[in-house]
Amino acid sequence: MATNSQSRGFQLQDALFIGFCATLLVALKSMLRLRLGLSGHSMLLMSFFYLTCYCTVARVGAITACGAMAGAVAAILGVGKGGPILLVKFLAPAIAMELTLLLVQNLLTLRWRLIVVAVAGAIVWSAKGLLEDLLVGMSWQVASVRFAAKVGSGGVFATIGALLVIPVVRRLKAHDLLYRDSKIDQEL
Amino acid sequence: MPVSHFSRSQATPISSRSLWFAGTAMVLALLLSSAAFFVPQVYLPWLAGIDALLVLHGVINKGNLGGLLRYILLQLLFTMVLYLAIHGGNQVGQGVMAVARILLALLPGWWLTSTVSAEAIGELLSKVMPSKWAFVIVASINLLPFMVNEAREIYQLQLLRGARISPKQLLNPRNWSELCYCVLFPLLVQLLKLAQQTATAARARHFGHKSRRTHWRPGQSENGNK
Repeated sequence: MATNSQSRGFQLQDALFIGFCATLLVALKSMLRLRLGLSGHSMLLMSFFYLTCYCTVARVGAITACGAMAGAVAAILGVGKGGPILLVKFLAPAIAMELTLLLVQNLLTLRWRLIVVAVAGAIVWSAKGLLEDLLVGMSWQVASVRFAAKVGSGGVFATIGALLVIPVVRRLKAHDLLYRDSKIDQEL
Repeated sequence: MPVSHFSRSQATPISSRSLWFAGTAMVLALLLSSAAFFVPQVYLPWLAGIDALLVLHGVINKGNLGGLLRYILLQLLFTMVLYLAIHGGNQVGQGVMAVARILLALLPGWWLTSTVSAEAIGELLSKVMPSKWAFVIVASINLLPFMVNEAREIYQLQLLRGARISPKQLLNPRNWSELCYCVLFPLLVQLLKLAQQTATAARARHFGHKSRRTHWRPGQSENGNK
């Protein structure tokens, strides 16, 4: 793909790819929920699609945009439970991943960067659950155990999702679908 | 609404009355969901009464409560096991109350999606976000059936090529990686190409030439486009 435009905001094709990824995330999430019913499995899809957007679009804000789109699409399609709260459910891990990415952008190799960012997303995703549990009046011991279980399972799934991103990005590069001057393209 | 059932043919013009109802329902659902977490315990029966009315309205509108009830039963089971293991049955009531609050928080969202059409919520969102992102959401949702078909075609083709991804073979976790390599990765490549084609098609119809939201009318000449 041609070189990346430095104009403000995302290019339309990038915005559309983010939207497609968000929609596919929501659709797959709704299907997997019925089949698996495992706690934390949603972090697999979330980290995979968020990080794919980051690697493909190669711009700050791609993960947050994907999270916001996924929340909006889920609320519109009625997938998941929680109505308007769905927006926070998708957006909170996305913002955490974006911020972590800004911190570790120049510190780690691509593989470790993706893993660290995915685990950060899983921790925030679990923290949202902890906050909900405490607000509904669970004892802090039970809430802590649930939080630890969610961090553990969510972290494992998020790491698997992050590791799946690199082969995808390599394949996109093989199809000349990555921006040629982007940092990700140079790292592969 | 199941995702696979969403189709372009369902898109109809939204009346202002429906928009008002959708807006009010969204605000009400947000307030009631938040109240389930924050109101003191003495007011919970009142909240449960309001939610019961919403459930009645949702069931009349043919909403399906089965999935939500299954989720709550699983939550109840998991929480009860934890309470019994940690507190030894002394605080089981507290656990039941916590799960009840979760149920009260989820019911307004279920009611919203049972009674308000997806198009009305989409139209409402387009009033509060930039036109480009509103276009992206509408395009993504409208192209969802296409994406599902694309995924199905790739899956069938890979099955014909001998990939170990039939439902029976996928019971073995060792075959999951094959599903990713054979179906998910090509699907993402297709999506990126689709995004490029859609963007080109939209630009050819003068999308993005004006900051405000514009509509392309079929049959309109290129020079007469506004």
